[in-house]
Amino acid sequence: MRSKIEKLYMGIILLFMYAPILTLIVLSFNSSKSRARWGGFTFKWYINLVHDNSVLNALANTLIIALISTIAATIIGTITCVGIMGLKRRSRTVLMGVTNIPMINADIVTGISLMLLFKVMHFETGFGTVLIAHITFNIPYVMLAVLPSLRTINPNIYEAALDLGAKPFYAFRKSVLPDLAPSVLAGALMAFTMSIDDFIITYFTKGSGFDTLSTKIYNEVKRGIQPEIYALSSIIFLAVILLLAASSYIKHRQNSLKKGKYLYKADRKISRGQAVALAAASAFIVILAMYFGGVFTRKNNQLFVYNAGEYLDPEVIEMFEAETGIEVVYDEFETLEIMYAKMVQDDGAYDVICPSDYMIAKMIENGMLQELDLDQIPNRKNIGEQYMEASRSFDPDNTYSVPYCWGTVGILYNKTMVDDPVNSWDILWDEKYSGQILMQDSIRDAFMVALKRRGFSLNTKDPGELELATEDLIAQRPLVQAYVIDQARDKMIGGEAALAVTYSGEVLYAQNENPDLEYSVPDEGSNVWIDSWVVTKKAKNPEAAMKWIDFLCRPEIALMNFDFVTYSTPNTKARELIEDENVRNSEVAYPGNDILKRCDAYSYLGEDGDLLYSNMWKKVKSGI
Amino acid sequence: MSKELIRLEHISKSFDGELILDDLDLVIHENEFVTLLGPSGCGKTTTLRIIGGFEKPDSGRVFFDGMDITGLAANRRQLNTVFQKYALFTHMDVAENIAFGLKIKNKPRDYIEEKIHYALKLVNLEGYEHRMPGSLSGGQQQRVAIARAIVNEPKVLLLDEPLGALDLKLRQDMQYELIRLKNELGITFIYVTHDQEEALTMSDHIVVMNQGYIQQEGTPEDIYNEPENAFVADFIGDSNIIRATMVRDELVNILGTDFVCVDKGFGENKPVDVVIRPEDVELVPRGQGIIPGKVTHAIFKGVHYEMEVEASGYEWQVDSTRLFEAGSEVDIQVDPFNIQVMNRPESEDEEAMAIDV
Amino acid sequence: MFNNKKTSRLLSSPYIVWALIFIIVPLGMVVYYGFTDKSGAFTFENVAAITSLVHAKALGLALLLSVISTIVCFVLAYPLGMILAHNKMSNQGIVTTLFILPMWMNFLLRTLAWLTLLENKGVINGILEVLHLPGINVINTSGAIVIGMVYNFLPFMILPIYNSLSSIDDNVINAARDLGADARQTFFKVTLPLTVPGIVSGITMVFIPALTTFAISTILGGSKILLIGNIIEQEFTLTYDWNLGAGLSIVLMLFIVVNMVVSAMADNGEEQDKKRMPSGRSGGASE
Repeated sequence: MRSKIEKLYMGIILLFMYAPILTLIVLSFNSSKSRARWGGFTFKWYINLVHDNSVLNALANTLIIALISTIAATIIGTITCVGIMGLKRRSRTVLMGVTNIPMINADIVTGISLMLLFKVMHFETGFGTVLIAHITFNIPYVMLAVLPSLRTINPNIYEAALDLGAKPFYAFRKSVLPDLAPSVLAGALMAFTMSIDDFIITYFTKGSGFDTLSTKIYNEVKRGIQPEIYALSSIIFLAVILLLAASSYIKHRQNSLKKGKYLYKADRKISRGQAVALAAASAFIVILAMYFGGVFTRKNNQLFVYNAGEYLDPEVIEMFEAETGIEVVYDEFETLEIMYAKMVQDDGAYDVICPSDYMIAKMIENGMLQELDLDQIPNRKNIGEQYMEASRSFDPDNTYSVPYCWGTVGILYNKTMVDDPVNSWDILWDEKYSGQILMQDSIRDAFMVALKRRGFSLNTKDPGELELATEDLIAQRPLVQAYVIDQARDKMIGGEAALAVTYSGEVLYAQNENPDLEYSVPDEGSNVWIDSWVVTKKAKNPEAAMKWIDFLCRPEIALMNFDFVTYSTPNTKARELIEDENVRNSEVAYPGNDILKRCDAYSYLGEDGDLLYSNMWKKVKSGI
Repeated sequence: MSKELIRLEHISKSFDGELILDDLDLVIHENEFVTLLGPSGCGKTTTLRIIGGFEKPDSGRVFFDGMDITGLAANRRQLNTVFQKYALFTHMDVAENIAFGLKIKNKPRDYIEEKIHYALKLVNLEGYEHRMPGSLSGGQQQRVAIARAIVNEPKVLLLDEPLGALDLKLRQDMQYELIRLKNELGITFIYVTHDQEEALTMSDHIVVMNQGYIQQEGTPEDIYNEPENAFVADFIGDSNIIRATMVRDELVNILGTDFVCVDKGFGENKPVDVVIRPEDVELVPRGQGIIPGKVTHAIFKGVHYEMEVEASGYEWQVDSTRLFEAGSEVDIQVDPFNIQVMNRPESEDEEAMAIDV
Repeated sequence: MFNNKKTSRLLSSPYIVWALIFIIVPLGMVVYYGFTDKSGAFTFENVAAITSLVHAKALGLALLLSVISTIVCFVLAYPLGMILAHNKMSNQGIVTTLFILPMWMNFLLRTLAWLTLLENKGVINGILEVLHLPGINVINTSGAIVIGMVYNFLPFMILPIYNSLSSIDDNVINAARDLGADARQTFFKVTLPLTVPGIVSGITMVFIPALTTFAISTILGGSKILLIGNIIEQEFTLTYDWNLGAGLSIVLMLFIVVNMVVSAMADNGEEQDKKRMPSGRSGGASE
């Protein structure tokens, strides 16, 4: 009876631990791209995975970092443990205290502190800095595992070995290490796991063009994860299980072979069996990483591209590389603010970026962009004149930017859940829809909704108007289910909410997955935005950047991107190529002038304005 | 013989399908120093744990003072245990360790203080009240463990290889201390060990166990002088144990040579084992004995010489006060009274000997 | 090896240098940023900013949620640790593996999976609906954040508790029973006190990351619930006021300092006991 209750309890805890894992594995077979909807069984994400270089690259980086940092941390950690035993008590306490810092310190503080260090010391962030960071936080895990078992080892064994004429290292290897091996291995395994799982520290210490799986996933979390990532994670997970099963099988076989007579020897064989399994695994990982990663072959002719997540058809990159021979290092940012923070940190990190209107104005004002060499971008002529015109609000002479996508901000709603006409922002304050509303988790968009609702300018810097908007947003807060960015799409597809503030570009995709969804731009007006390609001032390869922009302006390429991202293209030639008439003439994708008339673009608010908005936003988020 | 205190009847116990105790019967009397002796895995510790209440037998009953205590939990039994590796409470100091059982029983404060003092004096640890167990040597911890057990005034003290972790000198000292303690306390000691010397030194009564069976019971003298089978003979002291054939009553053929002996009743031409203690093998100059042999080793041991003699294809162990140098040609002879003839044991016992001894 | 001072120093010096450069100096930089303003002048403002209503509320909420999560983890982990230690089926390797295995699925993915499970139209509510049971409405609440914290940090509670439980000699428990303690007394007077070190390290390893997380609250709290970790993250990635971010980080570091002091005190106590010991095992023999 008692053991039944125990088993039940353990079962519940294990269910709790593994339910999310199972969910992810199931999602990896979901043919719908949306997390929220089951679209049938498929293997396609696994098949796609083989061709997805960015994911495989991230995998390779993850494994290489984890492996090297584990080996380094294991060696340093073990040696230090041996050394520490002979230190004076006080120095030992101090050193152990210091060692514990990365482990008990908040990851975010560790990450930030290292970032500050690298920046001040002018370290080039990237592979090297991430590796250093990982070694630093891995050492404590190794020491934590090794130190206790080192304490239990009789120093006489080692001394006896020395006495018999062994050299110190040999004596250590032969007399102490075998007893220590299991805990060293345990420490190494822990370190490897922590390294694989870390993202915060990696996030702050990685440079441009370098991603591990975690940082890649982090970029995607808010947008909705590529299903290939689920597939990859499932593969990793199963591989680990197989590996562990194999090693325990080896252990078991050795045990039963030796049963009885030489138990002690069998015990030591266990660690050897594990060591063999681990060595095999390491070799496998390295080969895999080298095969897919190609991280060791960096060409000279590179172009660093920085774009929002899922905002470009990966095939386009391959076509560009094939045609020009330029290697593209493609990075994604989560929000414009994060992109800007990165550029402030390292202004030469990227050659070509795709920000939005107000951010372009800000970057122009801060001298972060260079004028385009229009001779090299003949395909710019494919961009509709009205979009060039609209661009002048942030790029007065059309010299810095070439439009890439555009759209409006509006309300995406579920017809089956909303009876009232959706023609005013007011509906987002309607208590009837309490808990059914998704707001944008971005400062400008959220304030735009509140400002427009009261008839103010969406670029206002008037503290009184902003105060009112803030109050409104705080009042709205209890009704809001969540503040999200691109997750709104998945949630709306899954029927989680009735109303969501979204970008028009998400609508086509969402409607495709859930036909109950409709989109409306409220009568009070809204934001119309343009995302455009710009070249950074400190770009290392400006010619390639121009080629890139020109390439993207080709009608057939622009069409590919439109098909992939579903955001409206300003490329008139590309629009003409759209086969589906409903899409080509969609009110959502290409709103009529009546709608556009009541929409404005964001302009740059200046540093003071930014600060004002972000302080107000903090108040909204904490509800005070 | 004094009054019966503990009785085990038909005790069987197995772990993971492996039979550890097989239908064991054992009686322990009041005020005895009983030792359960045997190689590791023989079931002696399991027997002790069943008496202590830490294991339940699969079948059989345990009686204490005539009462059936088979199902009684450990904390309700009138006996206390001194564990292997002491099992002290490392988060409590010495006094708290000793007071543990008394506090549980809600004894008054003064009484507890007095008992702690008394017990520490008894085990020669006065002044150690407020030391932590981690700061004590092995011998001191052992004394604390004993003190912790005896303050509860148990009728029986169970000791599970209590000296196993101590070094030789300390072990010998503690042996005498334990005998003294037992005499002062006047209670029953049940002592588990695999060390035959310990058993012979301390016990009133020895129970030799192997593979879940009692092989032989008796006083130390009985066990040493008249082992009932090859296992006991081999386990207690050094012996020459030789396969032989009982030709007829009072005549046994050892390694091809007939020896006169005093044993009868084994039948004719039956395979047997003979046990001859090293001190019972006599060496005489060549031509004066029964089997010819050659001395291969000779070591001076103080009281006697320890020699090995190669004869008829067997390495004889010989203890003698008279030295024959290595390389000497000698003859071997044995007094008929010193040849102990035993039935050839079961094959599994042989195996037990080969592995565990 | 264990006693030779010179060798000891030689062996530990590489790491001492490493720790100096990559642990101490960076922390010094956080402190520097935290106590200066944008122009580099000394100021207390960044640290004092914790008293502003928004920050204090975020810190208070983070403290509350992480304390709750720590307690829940402890309550869940202790019985589990006892079951695992009791059943012995568990050689240490298997237990450790069982509970660190989920970490091989990315932390963010696992947390995201909870979103799929907990949503109003999510997997759990789907199951409840099939069973005609009332649904749960937990997503985007503090409750969901606590679930996420417990889920992610539970292994860090289980492992040390399990380790300290399984390192208790069975005979110590038997000794308590032998001396008359019943099951309850044995647990409270012996088992629990002996596992205090494991509990302390479990609490540290759950409480600190729970206190400082921002990813869990972002994903499962629907960005509606702002914890101190979110504020710091935003200062560095959104408003790039590094000085303020560093100042708030210093406040967080206070908790770590407190923790270090406590564990150093525990370590000292242990060492002092050892010091009082005469001289190893020979002490006993001479008596």
